[in-house]
Amino acid sequence: MTTSTIGPNAADTSSTRQAAGLRQLWRRLRSQPVTLVSTLVLLGIVAVAVLAPLLAPYAPEATDFDHPLSGPTADHPLGSDELGRDVLSQLIYAARTALLVAGGSVLVAMLIGVPLGLVLGYKGGWYDRIGSRGMDIADALPGLMIGFVVIAILGRGMLVLILAIGIIFSMNFARMVRAVTLTERKKLYVDSAHVTGLPTRDILFRQILPNMVGPLAVQGAVFLGNAIKVEAALSFLGLGLPESQPSWGGMLRVAAEHQADRPWMALPPGLAILITVLVLNLLGDGLNDALSGRRPVRKRARSAAPVPPPAPAAVADDARAAVLTVDDLVVVADRPDGSTARLLDRVSLQVRRGEVLGLLGESGSGKSMLAKSILGMLPPNVYAEEGSIRLDGQQLRGLPEREFAKLRGRKLGVVFQNPQGNLSPVHTIGQQLCEALRANNELSRKQARARAAELLELVGVDDASRRLGQYPHQFSGGMAQRVAIAIALAGEPEVLILDEATSALDVTTQSQVLDLVLDLRERFDMAIINITHDLGVAAETCDTVAVLYHGELLEVSEVNALFDDPSHPYTEALLAAHPTAETELDRLPTIADKLTVDGDWIRK
Amino acid sequence: MAKLVLYRLAFVLPQMLVVSVLVFSMTYLVPGSPAGAVLGPSATPEAIAQVEAQLGLDAPPLQRMGEWFTALLQGDLGTAYRSGMPVTDLISQRLPATLSMVVGGMLVALLLGVGVGVLAGTRPGTKVDRLLTGGTVLGIAIPEFWLGLLLTTVFAAHLGWFPIVGWVPPSTDFLGWLHGLVLPSITLGLTGGAIIARQTRAAMVRSLASPFIDTLAAAGVSRRTILYRYGVKNALVPVLASAGVVFAILIGVSFVAEKVFSFPGLGDLMLTSTIGQDFPVVQGVVLVTAALVVAINFVLDISYGLINPQARPA
Repeated sequence: MTTSTIGPNAADTSSTRQAAGLRQLWRRLRSQPVTLVSTLVLLGIVAVAVLAPLLAPYAPEATDFDHPLSGPTADHPLGSDELGRDVLSQLIYAARTALLVAGGSVLVAMLIGVPLGLVLGYKGGWYDRIGSRGMDIADALPGLMIGFVVIAILGRGMLVLILAIGIIFSMNFARMVRAVTLTERKKLYVDSAHVTGLPTRDILFRQILPNMVGPLAVQGAVFLGNAIKVEAALSFLGLGLPESQPSWGGMLRVAAEHQADRPWMALPPGLAILITVLVLNLLGDGLNDALSGRRPVRKRARSAAPVPPPAPAAVADDARAAVLTVDDLVVVADRPDGSTARLLDRVSLQVRRGEVLGLLGESGSGKSMLAKSILGMLPPNVYAEEGSIRLDGQQLRGLPEREFAKLRGRKLGVVFQNPQGNLSPVHTIGQQLCEALRANNELSRKQARARAAELLELVGVDDASRRLGQYPHQFSGGMAQRVAIAIALAGEPEVLILDEATSALDVTTQSQVLDLVLDLRERFDMAIINITHDLGVAAETCDTVAVLYHGELLEVSEVNALFDDPSHPYTEALLAAHPTAETELDRLPTIADKLTVDGDWIRK
Repeated sequence: MAKLVLYRLAFVLPQMLVVSVLVFSMTYLVPGSPAGAVLGPSATPEAIAQVEAQLGLDAPPLQRMGEWFTALLQGDLGTAYRSGMPVTDLISQRLPATLSMVVGGMLVALLLGVGVGVLAGTRPGTKVDRLLTGGTVLGIAIPEFWLGLLLTTVFAAHLGWFPIVGWVPPSTDFLGWLHGLVLPSITLGLTGGAIIARQTRAAMVRSLASPFIDTLAAAGVSRRTILYRYGVKNALVPVLASAGVVFAILIGVSFVAEKVFSFPGLGDLMLTSTIGQDFPVVQGVVLVTAALVVAINFVLDISYGLINPQARPA
């Protein structure tokens, strides 16, 4: 570690952090059988290359004129070539050539590419502009062509071959290092190193470079594989090493001449290349996954409790007025270690036609999971384990996707938070709106187009028929959200869920969109569930408010009652934490986590 | 549209200019001089000087560059040292075979790559996905010329389904030309397809995780429509951007693979000129290849702008 230049403390924390990182990396790698096997195979190939004189039955150039072009025999387990040279021995010695040339050329590529990328990424400005253009220009040439040119200029030989292949891959390293440097240089440790007066060279090579060892190792493994392929191709063409030096590509060159009479000769060297490149690529992939913390997605069989029978008549009578009723809903997520986490814990609520139910809670309280359970759009590994969700008396929990799909649009609609992301960037507004309209109604293209314009007008987008031909990026956030509402309304749903639909908008736009929603509620006689973390939004728009905290429903009250007389201490704390015009405080109030271990609230 | 074309041209023309200057300067990097390289180590200084004068290598660099560019603009790439043939003729004789192979490979690569990528990307984590992704890893690792060798051995030499010497000019025998192109296109297409498949899969997974997918699903649009009309189009944007890189790779691969299929392409010309240090030919092949790659990227960038409205200049 070289961070000691910015003080013993910094060095200490960063080295412990690195050690912890390495341990985590090792844990992840251990759980990847493919990576482990690849490593073992690669180590085996390296061992064969190093121990070639011990392992090979013959010297690679030893000829056996009595047995030319023999098939597999006791003397020559993999046969012999036209000069009677032993194929197995050549194969073993050629591993040396392959690893040496590939290793050397990746080293050359790094020596050229890494400093170049560091300087371009760190200096930025004109250096970067010119350098990046240079890399773009290098893109105009196939890598192999650059190899040809270097060999044409310098002639053939081991060093030229290494240089030629190294130059081919140097730009890839430069590009990657530049990209990482661009993000690294904005980080705090670079600033602090800069402030302490560390020379740029030290910042680059001693501070930034150690942070990209991981990505460099990944690229290194992948390009070792590529370099072996390029070396084989050049040797196959006769541009690589002299014939006397055994190489897999050279062996294939001989095999190609005997394609008709000795077709099997192509197998050993080809498989040797394939396996070596394969394990290097798999190693690179595995390392990449381990570094990024990605793990394979595995779907687990759902083990939800059986869906309860239809509710007794007495309850159904009570629920008649409610279009949507949620009872004792439990939603759990599978953890990677096999255990489960409860995201929603026995949540019950109902919403009537024409009513706006506010679902209030901080991030992570389970608001969105509730919405997704109702829509049947829970992410993989998350599922509704117990309880029931009834829409017009129909049980939604455990409903097969095929059935759910029929309800979305016609009975259930939703508007999500991200105004731009809610719309496909490469389709026009009209295409998307018509898609939703035609999915829910029997309409011709022309009718759909006309209806789309009406709907767009209805949600307050002016000049609707012209704007149908525009793309989402030509819309402001508020306008894009109005379009998303129009899409949700295409099937005239009975329940419309707004999942933080106005949270990303500025205050003025927010209240305009909310007014629109209230207006639409009357027009379409919908029930609306407005999920928000914003008390103001809840107060302004909702009839009833439900408060969620850590997956538990703390209270459901009529909106005025909730704000005037919250029955739960968390709600009280939530209201107190909301800054208003009257708040004259130096610091904004916060909510301390008052939960005890078993999840009960402590009353003050 | 016109704006987009002009905008891209403003990038492409300087790029080609810089590539041309670099290609021209190549001869100055040769240790000794190109004449010395051509004549061999035993050449006397007098002989070298004589050849240099003969080839016009003794003129000052700027004057030579001027002449070189003037000739280049008239489509004249110079004269081969060894054969004395015009380089332009040598290249135009070989170009059809190389282009046929690369375009055939590119078609297979796109069909295979987008197909496999969409299939795997729409069901991440499933058995199908793991099988296909495993296949792409294999496709990237396999040495192309070896694959070509195996394919010709089995399907041409052994089964006799395809001709061993693959190349027939399309003007002589169009069907024969197509027939001969099958194995080379598959060879090139498998590698290119593996690269495109990996990118398509990743782009597909990303695109299906976008909120607009949920918006459409929640509005009742069928899963099939969402996947194939919205998911795929969004995924194709990054794939199209990388197709140019695959094209460049396939040209390189074709230079090696043509030997396996006995195609009279640019690779053979480049190979003999590289060994013989016949610089005008090497320069010519490099320049023509670069122009091809730049041209295909130009076309791709335009179509990228057509698919992705945000990439159009305002």
